[in-house]
Amino acid sequence: MDESKKIGRRDFVRGAAAFALAGGTWAAVGTKAEGTVWQLDPNKCTQCGRCATHCVLNPSAVKCMNQFNICGYCDLCFAYLHPGSRERNTGAENLLCPTAAIERKFIEDPYYEYKINEDNCIGCAKCVEACLVFGNGSFYLQVRQDVCINCNECSIAKACPSNAWSKVPASKPYMFITGETPPGQK
Amino acid sequence: MLRKKEFEKSDFLWRVSVAVTVVSGLFVVLVFTLLIVNYLQVQTADPINNLAIKELRDQYAAAPEQDAALAQRIRDLDLLTRRAFFTSQYHLRVGGILLLCGAVVFLISLKNMDRWRPEVPELKDRPPSEVEWLSYARSRQLITWTGVVLLAGGLLASYLTESVLASNTSGAPAGQTEAAATVATAEAPATAAATAEATGTATPPVPVATATDAPSWDAVLLNWPSLRGPGSLGVAHFTNAPTEWDVATGAGIKWKATIPKAGANSPVVWGNRLFLSGADSQTREVYCYDTETGDMVWQKALEAFPDSPVEPPDVTEETGYAAPTMVAHGEQVFAIYANGDVASFDFEGNLVWGRAIGMPENHYGHSSSLIAYDNLLYVQYDDSNDPRLMALDTATGKEVWAAKRKKISWSSPILAQTPMGPQVILCSEKDVDGYQALTGALAWTQECLDGEVAPSAAYANSIVFAANEYAMASAIRLSGTAEAVQSEIIWEFDELLPEVSSPVGDGERFYFGTVAGDLVCLNAETGETIYIEELGEGFYSSPVLVGDRIYVIDRDGTMFIVKAGPAFEVIASHSMGEPGFATPAYLDGRIYLRTPQNIYCIE
Amino acid sequence: MKRLSKAALLLLFLGLAASVYAIEIRFAPPDFQTDYTLPGERIPAPSAGFGAWDVLILFAALSTATWLVLKKRSRRGLFLLSIACMVYFGFWRKGCICPVGSLQNVAAAILIPGVGVSAVVVAFFVMPLIFSLFFGRVFCASVCPLGAIQELVAIRPIKISSSIERALGLGKYVYLGVAILGVGTGAGFFVCRYDPFVGLYRLGHSFNMLLAGGVILVLGIFIARPYCRFLCPYGVLLGWMSKFSKWHLDIAPQGKCVDCRLCESSCPYNAMDMPTPIHLMEKQDTGKKRTQRLVLLVPVITGIAAFAGYLLHEPLSRMHPTVQLSERVAAEDLKLIPEQILETEHFRAGSQTTEQLHAEALALRSQFKAGGALLGAFLGLVVSLKLVGLSVVRKRTVFEPHRETCFSCGRCYPYCPVEPEGTPNVAQERV
Repeated sequence: MDESKKIGRRDFVRGAAAFALAGGTWAAVGTKAEGTVWQLDPNKCTQCGRCATHCVLNPSAVKCMNQFNICGYCDLCFAYLHPGSRERNTGAENLLCPTAAIERKFIEDPYYEYKINEDNCIGCAKCVEACLVFGNGSFYLQVRQDVCINCNECSIAKACPSNAWSKVPASKPYMFITGETPPGQK
Repeated sequence: MLRKKEFEKSDFLWRVSVAVTVVSGLFVVLVFTLLIVNYLQVQTADPINNLAIKELRDQYAAAPEQDAALAQRIRDLDLLTRRAFFTSQYHLRVGGILLLCGAVVFLISLKNMDRWRPEVPELKDRPPSEVEWLSYARSRQLITWTGVVLLAGGLLASYLTESVLASNTSGAPAGQTEAAATVATAEAPATAAATAEATGTATPPVPVATATDAPSWDAVLLNWPSLRGPGSLGVAHFTNAPTEWDVATGAGIKWKATIPKAGANSPVVWGNRLFLSGADSQTREVYCYDTETGDMVWQKALEAFPDSPVEPPDVTEETGYAAPTMVAHGEQVFAIYANGDVASFDFEGNLVWGRAIGMPENHYGHSSSLIAYDNLLYVQYDDSNDPRLMALDTATGKEVWAAKRKKISWSSPILAQTPMGPQVILCSEKDVDGYQALTGALAWTQECLDGEVAPSAAYANSIVFAANEYAMASAIRLSGTAEAVQSEIIWEFDELLPEVSSPVGDGERFYFGTVAGDLVCLNAETGETIYIEELGEGFYSSPVLVGDRIYVIDRDGTMFIVKAGPAFEVIASHSMGEPGFATPAYLDGRIYLRTPQNIYCIE
Repeated sequence: MKRLSKAALLLLFLGLAASVYAIEIRFAPPDFQTDYTLPGERIPAPSAGFGAWDVLILFAALSTATWLVLKKRSRRGLFLLSIACMVYFGFWRKGCICPVGSLQNVAAAILIPGVGVSAVVVAFFVMPLIFSLFFGRVFCASVCPLGAIQELVAIRPIKISSSIERALGLGKYVYLGVAILGVGTGAGFFVCRYDPFVGLYRLGHSFNMLLAGGVILVLGIFIARPYCRFLCPYGVLLGWMSKFSKWHLDIAPQGKCVDCRLCESSCPYNAMDMPTPIHLMEKQDTGKKRTQRLVLLVPVITGIAAFAGYLLHEPLSRMHPTVQLSERVAAEDLKLIPEQILETEHFRAGSQTTEQLHAEALALRSQFKAGGALLGAFLGLVVSLKLVGLSVVRKRTVFEPHRETCFSCGRCYPYCPVEPEGTPNVAQERV
């Protein structure tokens, strides 16, 4: 009788402990955030090239994107053409991208569309730097969230020399260079 | 022998398992070696930085004319590099999977080896009785030794490591470059801290704002330390301010005192002391009153410092020479004047320290008010050549850090206790900036202001509200973490805008008064207009939230008490009979209200 | 705003964009004559992270493991469940976020104001602990992806002396303390950074971590579950919970046990406690006195360790990247080290001044003073309490698993000659 009572009390304490553990953790963590994902702020990015080399994925989950609504559609695109190039054609000697991931398409005189082939892009940011220096800065790096496996601690974030990386809410997983405006819309 | 199914034997299956184990083991070793080789190859076949291609490209670019052969060579090499890169990538992936499969097979067969020729469990006699005891005794020893090793290792590490941050007390060797010199001086506080540490004294490091004698935020809340109250937020901690008084009959007026010299500043109160400053083109003074009686306890004139500007500043009539409100902080009170002279007095009126920061380059003299937090005194120094936010050590007046700003403004800083830590929020003529209060690191910035900005920002519930005429009113939501504060403009409003008076927020709504005399109330989340009502003769003084009431005094000196909330309702209005421009102090059942020449205590 | 023409709006937008952000519109975006429309950029949504579904799966896995340990008493079942969990949580979901790592997210949410954590992460953190409180470490048995892979490779385990085991076991307390210090000061998530197995699940990681994972696994063939026993910080919490578990894996009960010692020798984790001899090995008095002394020493040891931790704040603070950067910048300025690295180069190009950086680093360092002292106190407390615990030998009449360290892996089950129902039929056939 006494024994069973004792056990009953112990169970109660254990139950209470479990409840306190769950409830306590829940209360102690305070802010209940939604899920987060990693993203880099293109305005803080300094194109150091570590996104290409420090991702746990190979090739990196960071890819370049061209935001068309601020792209100048220039014929002479320095993100596309190497500064030493003599002709504007797709010969390797003329291209800046080391993996030929930028595809050029004629639209109308004198405009060309530049699109990133993400299968080839390794996120080295060479074109980003060129577009920022010579162009509108419409090329920039973003984590492709369908590729990223969202490590709890991001290896690139740790290696980033300019603190451009942060966790952002999963509902707003991109940081466009023009702020909150999703690109592609005027 | 035991006869359990788990211990059955089979020689044939054992042999098969051994064979599979050996083969898969070799396979794993082979794949592993190949992977390592491949990995090293990938490291060398780096398509991003292929030196050979770079060299060829330089040649190609430098050649006087188009060199088709060279172009072809670049193409070939480029193709080769890229192909090597992508095939290596592919090999790495396939190799990884192969290695994994091999390892799985290896493990399964190894397991099977054991399964089909199991080690027969040996039956042992009961252990000698001392085994457990000896094991416990041995464990105690080993754990003690591990503890000792950890301790010794730790102490050794702390003894051996010498931080560069702390070690350059003696400065760099003679003949150092200018850069090194700047660093050495900049680190003076740091090194001081380090020396203090080394000598074992308990002096806290200066730049680290954790001085024990700095008043806590709770203490600040119980006082009216600065313009618009604690943190300059326009929110009173005490909610029991009087609503009924009459200047004409003297009902509710506890005392009234005169103020010797003019000043556009507002009263600040700490404990039972009230402080005001006054100045003209030549003199600068501080007045201390007893809050119980209204008697002036002391009055001090601040002598010019050796490097104070000789010429008085060029100020507008409305601004005057003592526009900045003082700040009372613990056992000290701080004042700053239009010419950039700043000084600290203790509550007895003794000068603790004083210095001349210099005449700021603008057309109104120094006029932004002071705030303090922890052991830092913040000076928003509006020099149009070098606008900056300076944090001075409250104990010594030495600059702890200075943060660059983009532009100047008329407005005064506020200090907001955000979920991301305390922030000093400033308005400039271009943007609203939040700085980490302790480090001065720029936490966020939003470009949303324009023209000459006089109102300070309001902050409530993670939303900053900043507005001025000629621009827009913007509500900025702060989120993120202390390391990465995110800011986002959630709504804008431009129907009516404040020109001088600063807004205030109660968490659900923002209120502000205009020079035309309108009181505007907006929904904090959506920016929706809740009401715009005409009230009084125009506002210079800022509205203050006292409990569920808004107190605001207009330029004619009529104090309006309006119910805070969605419905506009004037609870009371009382004329002071003198112009109103300063923001009164609201503390525990009293209002300390200044007019051009007088200070009133209303109870 | 509607009144503004589209062109003006665009200009406004571009003006804003150009001034607020780093970009500069040098070439106005073209006004196309043809009916070309701007292609939308590909903005893929995040690949589904861990969600409610995974919480359910975790719950199901934990329940199955409990059932296999306590009801079915099946080592084989647990083994198969390990494989399933390793494939799902490891290879399929890429091992992130696991309950072991969630420890840091929860600690961050508690310690750092403004940091939140999602409900899924809280569930991942709490669920194994609650299961542990009732059923022992069934999570370790076969659900944890880190444990599963080690359990699978532990084929030829050798026994190490239980005293060495206990001493090395202190490692996990150190790791736990340092990990939480790292989280609290914002230095990083060390448990994730130095997770040896996640690279294997993702087939990619830094070369060093892959190598470390491989080495631990090879070592794990002989020294079973080295990470779990000597390093796992979450294991500390699970152990504390399991200590008070209501139902726990057990082996032949009193009266049925035939004292064959097979369970004890089959356990590679030294987690099977032996029955204690009837006569005491030392005078009761000696033991009592020693225990008293050790109890009195608890605050002393804790205090000394706390002080040592405080003294350690400087080296500890170097865990933090800001302190590292600050020291590096200072050293470069003093010409102690010649070349600039990318980090300092970027810092110098940025807007923060050197003074601000140093002030920030020193502020962080003072955080490490308190943090280091707490870490030291925690470790001192752990060591001294372990000593007290080891000073008294509890009376035991049967073999029973040590609830704190037993992983509930079920390795002992097949060895026990006593059938779970209690019929000692097999035992009687001993030769």
